[in-house]
Amino acid sequence: MNDDINRQIGFDIIKIRISQMMINEFYKEGKFKIPIHLAFGHETIAVSIDRVMEEQDKILLSHRNIAFNLARGKNFKKILDEYYLKKEGIAEGKLGSMNLMNPSKGIIYTSSILGNNFSVAMGVALAQKIQHTKGIAIVLGGDGSMEEGSFHESLLMAKSLKLPCFIIIENNEWSMATSINERRCNIDLEKFTSAYEIKYCKLSGNNPIKYIEELKKMREYAVKNNEPVCIEFNVTTLGDWIMKHDDYPKGKFINYHAGPAPTIELKTCPAIIKTSEQDPVYALKELLDESEIIKISEEIRTQMYSEQI
Amino acid sequence: MKYLEFINKKINENIAAHEKIVLFGQNVNAGSCIGGLTRGLKIKEGNMIINSTNSENSLCGLGFGLMLSGVSSIFFMKQLDFLLLSIDHLVNTFNIIRSLKLENKASFTIFPVTVDNGYQGPQSSLNNFAEFCSIARIPGYCITNKKDAEEILKAKLTKPGFRIITISQRLVKEEIIDPEQILFVNDEKTVFQYNKGKDLTIISFNFSFPQANELFLEFKNNGINASLFNVNSPIETDWEKIREDVKTSKNIIVLDDSNSHNIAANSLIVDLVSDGNLESKILLKKEIKNGWLFPNEDLMKIDYKKIVLEWKNRF
Repeated sequence: MNDDINRQIGFDIIKIRISQMMINEFYKEGKFKIPIHLAFGHETIAVSIDRVMEEQDKILLSHRNIAFNLARGKNFKKILDEYYLKKEGIAEGKLGSMNLMNPSKGIIYTSSILGNNFSVAMGVALAQKIQHTKGIAIVLGGDGSMEEGSFHESLLMAKSLKLPCFIIIENNEWSMATSINERRCNIDLEKFTSAYEIKYCKLSGNNPIKYIEELKKMREYAVKNNEPVCIEFNVTTLGDWIMKHDDYPKGKFINYHAGPAPTIELKTCPAIIKTSEQDPVYALKELLDESEIIKISEEIRTQMYSEQI
Repeated sequence: MKYLEFINKKINENIAAHEKIVLFGQNVNAGSCIGGLTRGLKIKEGNMIINSTNSENSLCGLGFGLMLSGVSSIFFMKQLDFLLLSIDHLVNTFNIIRSLKLENKASFTIFPVTVDNGYQGPQSSLNNFAEFCSIARIPGYCITNKKDAEEILKAKLTKPGFRIITISQRLVKEEIIDPEQILFVNDEKTVFQYNKGKDLTIISFNFSFPQANELFLEFKNNGINASLFNVNSPIETDWEKIREDVKTSKNIIVLDDSNSHNIAANSLIVDLVSDGNLESKILLKKEIKNGWLFPNEDLMKIDYKKIVLEWKNRF
């Protein structure tokens, strides 16, 4: 039974990875008119949150939302069509990538403005409380968005109004081309949230079983106590490269941010980008044999090609 | 009855009947209750009044989040200037919501006071409500008298959708002007006509209705019959009724007490000039002097007698 669950989780993670790799290739070919922020490295977080979400839960995303839309929507073709701005797209070609949402799957709001979605999520959480839905609002941001004043305001609001919600920070240490130590002092999020007496949880390592287990506990706590929980994921957005520029004659290490990831190729099989636990597909080795990972990867590719994607 | 007392009474009447509404804002139900604006709010069981944090940006987001989930709300605010902190939501969040036609799931009204009474220091120069709403074509309504207060609050305060309704701090302690009648008001409650005259059309914008009304009475006392209009909403207003009126009167006086460079009155004047029916036009607007950034009276002063005398001499 556990093997089946592990395989299904592994399948979902690898499918999101390969879907993104395909989009990356189309991106390189210049097939999209819109900007897209890929999320290589975020696959396990997305699959884990998808597994934990209950029917009444609502999720509010940022511009880097692709992994969550794939995890929740499970329809690559419709997302691809959306990126092509076709009527067949998941939002009839009206939203593109940075605002992509899917209300039927609980993705009710997505904003490309850093920190914008935190307070909207507080309104959603308050509505859930008033309507006694027993659902929670889940809002995602990165280490850049927690630099915005709205992050502080929303934590304050969440605690003061006793709102059942997850405030999730995907900390990849980078904001565009600057790492945390290049742009600001360190923020100890655990201490920061403790100042508001908000429960904090830190997750890393890309083990989906561990993530799901912890997230379920946190969800139960939020619903039972009408309380917010702040969850910080250590994540590496994969696709780093050495940027060559006149200002950096020796090249500068850049974490992948937007546009096609130049160092990632679709031919990479079974879809592993980095041989460390920073890569969710590599980390699947904790759950599945390498041969099984390769088998799943081939299965997904065959399926996607047969769908003529 | 004072302007603020009347508006407070009407807010209470309109809210009392509403199911599932959240009222929030700083001191909305404490202390002076925003200078009396929200005093004595009564809500049905299950509704909420929240004396909120001082977080204007996020409070605006909160209202949009409630709206997305089908819960109506009103965000009362002491000063329109504070709403500058919420511009991200007024533009970006509102655009996202209405692009998917989600705004009709519930009502969200922001109710700030336009602090136009002067002597507030440099931060109080923002009084141009039209310009504020223009940034994202936000439906907005200025309340200037008893008649428009009744109509706008009844039709808009808790109606599904988003809008901003504002009142004037300058008028708070004044007796509320009660025009004899409304000759015309459009469905959107954006253009009100209070009088009909063949000689002249007077149109006021922003919070200049008191001056327009005074000017109208001065003309009337001198035997000159004017039509009197007020434009309450700065955005996408159909002013066909005004254009029709000008076909007969051929003369306009337009008033706009906004402080900023771009004023909504100019849009109307352009349309009326394009129509080709005008024989004369006067625009009465604020005279911005060097001291405008310092505490000052901040009032659009008009010499009514002089204007009427000049008019009589001309015709």
